[in-house]
Amino acid sequence: MFGYYFTLGLRSLRRNRALTALMVLTLAVGVAASISTLTILHAMSGDPIPGKSTRLLVPHLDNGQVDGWAPGEKPDDVQMTYQDAVNLLKSGQGERRTVLFGTEMPLEPPRKDMPAFSAAGMAPTRDFFAMFDVPFLHGQTWSEADDARGADVVVLGRAMAEKLFGDANPVGRQIRLMNVPFTVAGVVDYWNPRPRYYKLVGGDTFGGADDFYIPFASAIRHEAGINGGMSCSTKREPGYAGLLASECTWLQFWFETRSSGDRAELQAWLDRYTGEQRKLGRFKRNVPARVYDVMEWMDELKIVGNDNKLSVWLAFGFLALCLVNTIGLLLAKFSVRASEIGVRRALGASRREIFSQFLIETGVIGLAGGLLGLALSFGALALIGMQSTEVAAMARMDWEMLGMTFVLSVAAALLAGLLPTWRACQVTPAIQLKSQ
Amino acid sequence: MEIRPILSALLRNKTGPILVALQVALSLAILANATYIVNERRAVVARPSGIADEHATFYIQARNLDNDGPEQRLATFKHERDLLRAVPGVASVAQVSQMPLSNSGWNTSITLDQRQERPSASASMYLSSDSIVQTFGLRLVEGRDFLPEERLDANEKAEARPPPQIIVTRPLAEKLWPGVSAIGKTIYFGSNENVTGSRVVGVVEHLQTQSAQIDEKGEFSIVMPLQRYGDSRTMFAVRAEPGQRDRVMKEAESVLRKSSPTPMILEMRSVDQDRKDRYRGDVALQWMLVTVSLLMLLITCCGIVGMASLWVTQRRKQIGVRRALGARKIDILRYFIVENVMITSGGVFGGVALGLALNQLLVSKLEMARLPAGYLAGGALLFWLIGVIAAYGPAWKAASISPATATRSV
Repeated sequence: MFGYYFTLGLRSLRRNRALTALMVLTLAVGVAASISTLTILHAMSGDPIPGKSTRLLVPHLDNGQVDGWAPGEKPDDVQMTYQDAVNLLKSGQGERRTVLFGTEMPLEPPRKDMPAFSAAGMAPTRDFFAMFDVPFLHGQTWSEADDARGADVVVLGRAMAEKLFGDANPVGRQIRLMNVPFTVAGVVDYWNPRPRYYKLVGGDTFGGADDFYIPFASAIRHEAGINGGMSCSTKREPGYAGLLASECTWLQFWFETRSSGDRAELQAWLDRYTGEQRKLGRFKRNVPARVYDVMEWMDELKIVGNDNKLSVWLAFGFLALCLVNTIGLLLAKFSVRASEIGVRRALGASRREIFSQFLIETGVIGLAGGLLGLALSFGALALIGMQSTEVAAMARMDWEMLGMTFVLSVAAALLAGLLPTWRACQVTPAIQLKSQ
Repeated sequence: MEIRPILSALLRNKTGPILVALQVALSLAILANATYIVNERRAVVARPSGIADEHATFYIQARNLDNDGPEQRLATFKHERDLLRAVPGVASVAQVSQMPLSNSGWNTSITLDQRQERPSASASMYLSSDSIVQTFGLRLVEGRDFLPEERLDANEKAEARPPPQIIVTRPLAEKLWPGVSAIGKTIYFGSNENVTGSRVVGVVEHLQTQSAQIDEKGEFSIVMPLQRYGDSRTMFAVRAEPGQRDRVMKEAESVLRKSSPTPMILEMRSVDQDRKDRYRGDVALQWMLVTVSLLMLLITCCGIVGMASLWVTQRRKQIGVRRALGARKIDILRYFIVENVMITSGGVFGGVALGLALNQLLVSKLEMARLPAGYLAGGALLFWLIGVIAAYGPAWKAASISPATATRSV
């Protein structure tokens, strides 16, 4: 019976054309508004590294001043000092660990026809690439020895490598960074997770791929400029050495544990560490160390803005309005078919039959609305994406949202169809037949 | 009046009227909140940055790939500044540490006493040994700009001592010293017995911070007559003569490139670009809300017209009978209009309540501001008006039904 009712539903689309078109359009507009705003929210708040996001952990140690601070207040900054980062690197905790900071420096291409320009990259340790599943196109990451002595080696992003060397494999070639020659150790394939969850503080959260990666120790040795936020709660000595010795926080730290259960072990180690440091006169606030996994970290830093949530809420409010409107239209459409129902009932159709027939018919309207809504969503997303490349990267529909469009549309139509269908079932065959 | 019969007719067939009222209520609730948010964002975007002529102002981030010492670099920067001043069409040039709205710069905490534990405020720091007041075109509301002898250049490797004089914005002055003149007052950076204070010599009307936060903090800025040197990077703010910015930008770039024997990295940006980037999200939200609001009005109108038309068709015979019994056209018209106003009123009252509830939700969950009553009142008025206009067409159609044809099939 389903197939037959479905065909009937399709045919019924052609009846009362204006009314049906209005219904489909109303549903489509409501669904498009909801889906396009939801797509952006979905892209922003999705798990950027599924399967690993509970094993990648950010430690936070609050080293703020006690003066003017009340227990329970939020920390001044969630980044880390150089001294803590160095200690944590040496800790041996977790399976892998990396510190990193954003940096921007002059890059002189090997080609003489290309002028020097400013390039933005990251200064992590070699573990970074394995921790965040960074794919390599050529070569590989630098060695542990390179990390230890701060060697002048660089891993390029694919776009940057192609800009500098074309399609050739640049491993072993040299470029000049900060007036110093660096040897290319590898090239990272296209890798640009958005949000850039590995560097969320003071960074271009939805920005493009990194131009390059150099060893953290090398960046420190060359006193590389810091591209990001820094918070200093106490006075520091001038110069780079002063910064490294200070209580200023400006580094991002990540641990990777073997299993998500190892988190408690890490927590315990951090508590011991802060306890030891407290004896040396640091961490006066006496706040326990905190550990965040990837999703908790994105939540803590409020990556999904209130404006995005507002858009989604209002869009769903709008969908509710479209739903109410559709109920009215369906009532009107079904009310003129009372005589048809009367005849069917008199010929032996049960109320359940009538109910399923009309509900399937509304389902067909929902499908049509979903189809049009999908087209409208693509249009809306294209419009939204015109703002900037960052937004365009967010405003992309995936299979999940595509399916969601139809589910939402059909569900909305069925919900709207419940009342009119129920009313249609109430038709008494005798009265209908008599009045004809 | 005929309210009683209309009401009892409505109550006999409730579904349609309830649906219309629900649509009105939903639209009103969302529309009032959306309009308020749009107006709020418009006000945020319209705030002055303090720069008098933003269209004519741009800045250059320059980096020289040299190996010079700090003193040599200082001399280069001064030379470059003078070269820029000589470019035709340039009105003013200043070497600066940061720009408003540019989303990059430094903040400092301020105290009013050396022994004070909790900072009084956090302010954005504009450092320049040239006149930012002149180049940005800041409006001094009290006091004066820095004197030439007060302007200093200091090696960044040397200990950072704040300059003895300082200029603050009026919002910051009012926050620190409410109700009294800020001129001659002293502020300190950090709490320590040894810190030296800076005396306020001038107050400017506006100078937004680098991030232009939406609360009062977006206006808390200080200007110091001090430039730190030693790094190979610097920044020049340039105000061109009106209408000449684009040409001046190109010429300034080529002048700087020609002046340097070593390679240079130059990044040019206009304040217009920064403003656009800073407020992109706010503008996008406004567009989204306006689009949804307009669609909502359209759909609600359609809903009212559709329902009213349906009722008119359903009641053809009843209208015919009434007309045959002596009702005038105006009576029929009035009947339908009054009926619609009653339905819309129900929706409007529900909408006001729903709007308040929605706003409460936005306040508690999304840190939005409380909705002023005026928006709900305005929305209510709008929907009453829409109700009457939308119902007028079908009502007129009903009134035009001739009693003879309508009663014929009875």
